[in-house]
Amino acid sequence: MIMAEPVSRRDSEPTAPVDEETLVQRARGGDLTAYDELVKRYQERIYATIYHMTSNHEDANDLAQESFIKAFQALKHFKGGSSFYTWLYRIAVNKTINFLKQRRHRVHMSLNDLDFNAEHDPDLMALISDKTPRREAGLTELQEKLNAALLKLSEPHRLVVVLHDVQGLSHEEIAKVMNCNIGTVRSRLFYARQQLQAWLADYLKPT
Amino acid sequence: MNENEHQFQALRQLLALKRHEVPPPGYFDRFSGEVLARIRAGETGGRDNLAERLPWLVRLLQALESQPAFAGALASALCLLLVGGLLYAERPDATIQPLLLPPGGAPALNVAVAPPLSAPPAVTAGLISATNPVFNPQPMATPEAVALFGNPTAPLQPVSFRVSGN
Repeated sequence: MIMAEPVSRRDSEPTAPVDEETLVQRARGGDLTAYDELVKRYQERIYATIYHMTSNHEDANDLAQESFIKAFQALKHFKGGSSFYTWLYRIAVNKTINFLKQRRHRVHMSLNDLDFNAEHDPDLMALISDKTPRREAGLTELQEKLNAALLKLSEPHRLVVVLHDVQGLSHEEIAKVMNCNIGTVRSRLFYARQQLQAWLADYLKPT
Repeated sequence: MNENEHQFQALRQLLALKRHEVPPPGYFDRFSGEVLARIRAGETGGRDNLAERLPWLVRLLQALESQPAFAGALASALCLLLVGGLLYAERPDATIQPLLLPPGGAPALNVAVAPPLSAPPAVTAGLISATNPVFNPQPMATPEAVALFGNPTAPLQPVSFRVSGN
């Protein structure tokens, strides 16, 4: 009679979070379970950054997956000089910028839906219900206009806005990701905001 | 609060809208599985295009695009190089001229043909039996060729030309 093996009790116990360095070391040795954990940790941020840069869900999906695949294959070259997170971001950003340069004249938006919280965000509601010249604009129209304006920015300027104003990265982190100095980050951010304010003036001005 | 500050605040509020854009439900539940499946299938990280393989080329093109002065300078340098090359190619070769003139400067031409090489019979046999498509002495042995050009086996004689000026 064949007896079923007893189920290990350890499988059902919650495991302590493993630190990033250990996961990177294990993934470098070919441990896909460790890399799966790394992907799960950063997938949302990497996807979001690429999505906000491309304004296209399908492109963002492809580029995000390719970024993680490329990172896995390049892990042996990862020296640990920066955090894995910064290094991964750099791969994703470079891949995205190369992609955008190739399809510069073929911009096609494929926007994600807004979540439930958007309609309950007091700041957004203030924007819509405020006495602006375009107060009739709904959230969807605002979303389209905002994405169109972002796409008009150059890639470096758009990236700074996305990383700082949308993703919430600090100037220092952005400088590391973009491999430039903090002054460049600040000046790009200032210029990009000026441009956006000019293009979206109808939606920002009070009457 | 002045208008500019108000606009800046409104822009920040508007940019916050981007955080509410979310992919379809369940997207992130499948994401890592798809990545790992592609890794197991041996994919190489996607479109390995020219730009990714030659980053210096991308940097050069970016520099050309963003700095018209640099692009102009580079184009001018290439044009100068091309014109210089053409001029150099068209220039008469000064190193050959003295060889054609005698030391006295008179327009005379002396062409001395070297004495015939006394190659060993083995080498001569090798030449005759060679499959060199450019030089094949065999057709010279036909009667028509002998009538036209003489005996092909006749020994070569040293020849000396002297062209005197008028």
